[in-house]
Amino acid sequence: MLSAAHLTRRFGERVAVDDVSFELAPGEVFALLGPNGAGKTTTLRMLAGLIAPSSGTVRLGAEVLSRHTAPRLRGRIGLLPETPGLWDRLPVRQNLLVYARLHGVADPAAAVDEVLERFGMRDRGREPAAQLSKGLKQRVALARTLLHVPDVLLLDEPTAGLDPESAREVRELILRLRSERRTIVLSTHNLDEVERVADRVAVLRARLVAVDTPAALHARLFGARMRVTLRQPAATFASVLARAGFRDVQAQDQTLSIAVGEHLASAPAIVRQLVEAGADVLSVMPEQARLEDVYLRLLEDEVRLKPDATIEGRRP
Amino acid sequence: MSRILALLGKELADLRQNPALFFPAVLAGGLSMLLPFFIAIVVPALAGERLSDSSDFEIALEMYRDQPRLRDLEPEAAIQAWIFQQFLVLLVLTPVTGAMSIAAYSIVGEKQARTLEPLLATPLTTFELLAAKVLGALLPALGLTVATFLLYLTGVGVFAEPGAFRALLLPASLAVVFVLGPLTSLAALQLAVCVSSRVNDARSAQQIGALIVLPLTAAFILQITGMFQLTVLVIASVALALVGADIGLMLLGIALFERESILTRWK
Repeated sequence: MLSAAHLTRRFGERVAVDDVSFELAPGEVFALLGPNGAGKTTTLRMLAGLIAPSSGTVRLGAEVLSRHTAPRLRGRIGLLPETPGLWDRLPVRQNLLVYARLHGVADPAAAVDEVLERFGMRDRGREPAAQLSKGLKQRVALARTLLHVPDVLLLDEPTAGLDPESAREVRELILRLRSERRTIVLSTHNLDEVERVADRVAVLRARLVAVDTPAALHARLFGARMRVTLRQPAATFASVLARAGFRDVQAQDQTLSIAVGEHLASAPAIVRQLVEAGADVLSVMPEQARLEDVYLRLLEDEVRLKPDATIEGRRP
Repeated sequence: MSRILALLGKELADLRQNPALFFPAVLAGGLSMLLPFFIAIVVPALAGERLSDSSDFEIALEMYRDQPRLRDLEPEAAIQAWIFQQFLVLLVLTPVTGAMSIAAYSIVGEKQARTLEPLLATPLTTFELLAAKVLGALLPALGLTVATFLLYLTGVGVFAEPGAFRALLLPASLAVVFVLGPLTSLAALQLAVCVSSRVNDARSAQQIGALIVLPLTAAFILQITGMFQLTVLVIASVALALVGADIGLMLLGIALFERESILTRWK
């Protein structure tokens, strides 16, 4: 659906984005993570056809985004910038109507009614945008990006500054849009949000440090782990597993954390060893990947994963 | 075209929500309208003298002797007609100087309000954006010009000597209002929008935009001091030059509009 090939953008001497490549499928949520100044917004702007890459290409479907195709292809893209960017003096409805017309929507009034309904703002249409709370403004801005039913959504910090309830609504919306097969690129610092909604994560620091699913990144950096909860204190049984050849067995209270090569294959052997040693096993599950650990580790080490698997960013 | 109309609709709606933006234009238009009445009617009345008693206005009498439609005017009416006709240029151009602040603020204002990026992310082309911005300042200015002209005409009909208002209905006068005025306004406002797309704060845009008033003022002074007269030939030549200038300024505006710089360097 959307792809970037060797995307590079320089501002004078500074390289803001350096040789970034990835391919996104319809219905995929792709998160761009990185510290401030890592090139996330610049990448989004290049994907939106707002600024041209110094080298490399962006493709939307089969078409290359260029100076000539950009005005037309922008009609298939919905961009949510960092700030809502509403015209404060105009009512919400009029804000949206202008954008529906700019996108050439066949029935602008109906499209506006539909998005207002969808975002639960039908009764707020007459209010000047200036009177809305920050969360409501963000909701209107999101509604604006959907007016023309774009194939691709580029969301720059969509939940920044929102209260938890509004942020959850935005996340739910992202998941709904994914189920409608929209491709979504999300730039954010909110790792919890990424874990909840993103299919794949790209860690960016001008260059792509890594691209993969959160679980795969965790497994590559920290190895896969299994978490076993027992009725008894776990420390008693840690040595049992160590003697059986399991690596890096950690015990805390009633929980054992074990490094494993493959989750499903290891589970029966772990349980068998523990039960034979007299343990009462309450639960066995793969340990949840903590994206924050992955992210910080990647940035600390700028670990380069194998090019064929991750740096090119192709879907597995 | 539909996208220009969409953005133009927003510009006009924005102005309706904040009519104070156009207050300088209304004030300037009103003052420029009152000035000739003051010179032609109020001052002579206060001084107890008639304009035709002075030899300073011989030029006006000579001019009207050559005009078949105005040859029958009494000397006082002819002099008043000359004064009212001379001030027509000022009357037509003053609302534009007021609208200049709107045009100067147009692009930099969107940037400062952080509304430009979502706008540029639509299929809107640079030409469409600039055209809507220029028209958003031009149409209210022209509306004000026409309203001021009608009020001016009525005032001259009511307060001036009988027949003086006929000078304002000559083809040359009407061409000033309906041809030269709009074309000059278009050029000035395009220049102001160009400025707005090249500076990074609204104050600079307004200060530089204010300089555009200078050539308009110079044109008025040259005309009123008799350096040139607005004959049909002069009007046609100037109109042709202005059409060229308007096209050239639009092309210049498109060339100078750097989306990337505006998005990435302006703060």
